[in-house]
Amino acid sequence: MSADLVRLIVDAVQEQCEGRGSTVAAADLGPETPLLGRAGVLDSLGLVTLVVALEQTLEDEYGVSVSLADERALSERKSPFRTIGTLADYAERLIDGARQRA
Amino acid sequence: MATIDFLLDIFDANRTGEAIVWRDRVFSFGWLAEAVRDWRRRLQDDGLVRSGSVVSLEADFSPQAISLLLALVEHRCIIVPLTTSVEARKPEFSEVAEVEAVVRIGDGDEVHVEPTTRTARHPLLRQLQEAGRPGLVLFSSGSTGKSKAALHDFGPLLEKFTVPRRRLRAMGFLLFDHIGGVNTLLYTLSNAGCVVTVPQRLPETVCAAIARWQVELLPTSPTFLNLVLLSEAYRRHDLSSLKLITYGTEVMLESTLRRMREVLPGVELLQTYGLSELGILRSKSKSSDSLWMKIGGEGFETRVVDGLLEIKARSAMLGYLNAPSPFTADGWFRTGDAVAVDGEYVHILGRRSEIINVGGEKVYPAEVESAIQLMEGVSEVVATGEKNAITGEVVTARVKLETGETVAEFRRRMRAFCEGRLARFKIPQKVVLVTDDLRSERFKKLRHEQVS
Repeated sequence: MSADLVRLIVDAVQEQCEGRGSTVAAADLGPETPLLGRAGVLDSLGLVTLVVALEQTLEDEYGVSVSLADERALSERKSPFRTIGTLADYAERLIDGARQRA
Repeated sequence: MATIDFLLDIFDANRTGEAIVWRDRVFSFGWLAEAVRDWRRRLQDDGLVRSGSVVSLEADFSPQAISLLLALVEHRCIIVPLTTSVEARKPEFSEVAEVEAVVRIGDGDEVHVEPTTRTARHPLLRQLQEAGRPGLVLFSSGSTGKSKAALHDFGPLLEKFTVPRRRLRAMGFLLFDHIGGVNTLLYTLSNAGCVVTVPQRLPETVCAAIARWQVELLPTSPTFLNLVLLSEAYRRHDLSSLKLITYGTEVMLESTLRRMREVLPGVELLQTYGLSELGILRSKSKSSDSLWMKIGGEGFETRVVDGLLEIKARSAMLGYLNAPSPFTADGWFRTGDAVAVDGEYVHILGRRSEIINVGGEKVYPAEVESAIQLMEGVSEVVATGEKNAITGEVVTARVKLETGETVAEFRRRMRAFCEGRLARFKIPQKVVLVTDDLRSERFKKLRHEQVS
């Protein structure tokens, strides 16, 4: 799992929580942090906003255009949005795929 | 004459049956029958609310809210249900509906009744009042940014529930002030089923309640189903009691439908089609993994004109309280929904308009634009909808800036600025900075052209 991607996601999650008036220390966020569900830090709007912001950042910083939440992501047997780590892994796979095609 | 007597007969015949689950407490049909009769007495004898008045019922599903709704129908009132989801617009909605008395149900299910200083004068309201008929006002989205108030005679809405159908334990998921919510409630109670209420509409809460209270019917939206899938809440709760999931209010993705079928193979998935203006049509999906459906049923006729669906309904509203009649001269309602047709089946393609639909919540571009336009350094802004797999659409703001901020910097500032000015779902989820002008020579916003 790429540490850079984890950092990008941690930043984006923090920005999300900030917007909702709750503060989460970056130190408390890591690959194991659940995004959705019982202990998750995001709700539906939070998730969508996170994903869209992340896509934009990936485009700016990695120069690749990927779609993190599309029909493919929703069809995955194991949801890519379980934790920060699973999302980083999923993003990495998409970025690699996009680069190979380029 | 509209009457709830047939409902009371059903309640009396099932006195020990479970009618409502609220805050983990069960209320029987016996309790409900008494509560309705009790409110009816208090409304009539104590003069709590004048018969025929326009009454706003500010509540979510609760035992008192449900009893009062039925008692107010019997009292020939014109009911305006309002939930916290429209909190900020309550004054505006009350004004439009000319609310004469407010019935508010608090967190502990306590009831507050207060008259207002208004007298309803709208000809359509007067018409119902003079005929001594109960009414219902539902607010729908309009393309101009103003919600339209659809006034119904409650009689035809109730009528279809006199035909017995499947008895189901249903989730009170859709809100009380939504045609789907009203429909779920009346359908369930008229078949002696049970309405299971939840304090929050989150995947975890809803799935836990389904398991605990053996819910069979979940009326919901495609966005919520996406959330159930993504949160994997279905893995943590036993959903084997579910028999039927109905979904409407926005466009469903085929992938979501396919995944739901895999996750809950025994559950039937049924698309519904309803409008605040017409009520809910009976619908039949071609199969559980198909987006094609037959719509209509008794009291409804459909036709397609220029690719747009038109419906003639016996339960159609009398009209809008704040907009011109949307009906053709011969009584057809133009839905504005683009459809594909295959024999007797139709496929709803989406609304032909500019309204952005974020997870079933309507966003008017103008409202978003006027908020962002107030920000320092923003010279122009255009809000549009962009497809998104999770919520159907997201709000994208294209902004021309004078500040030289990066996208990330501006996004942060914009969110802080919009907090408190716009409901959260209306704050653009996506921001694109542009350098070109966003207006045409006619000073119309360039919504559809690709601006980059």
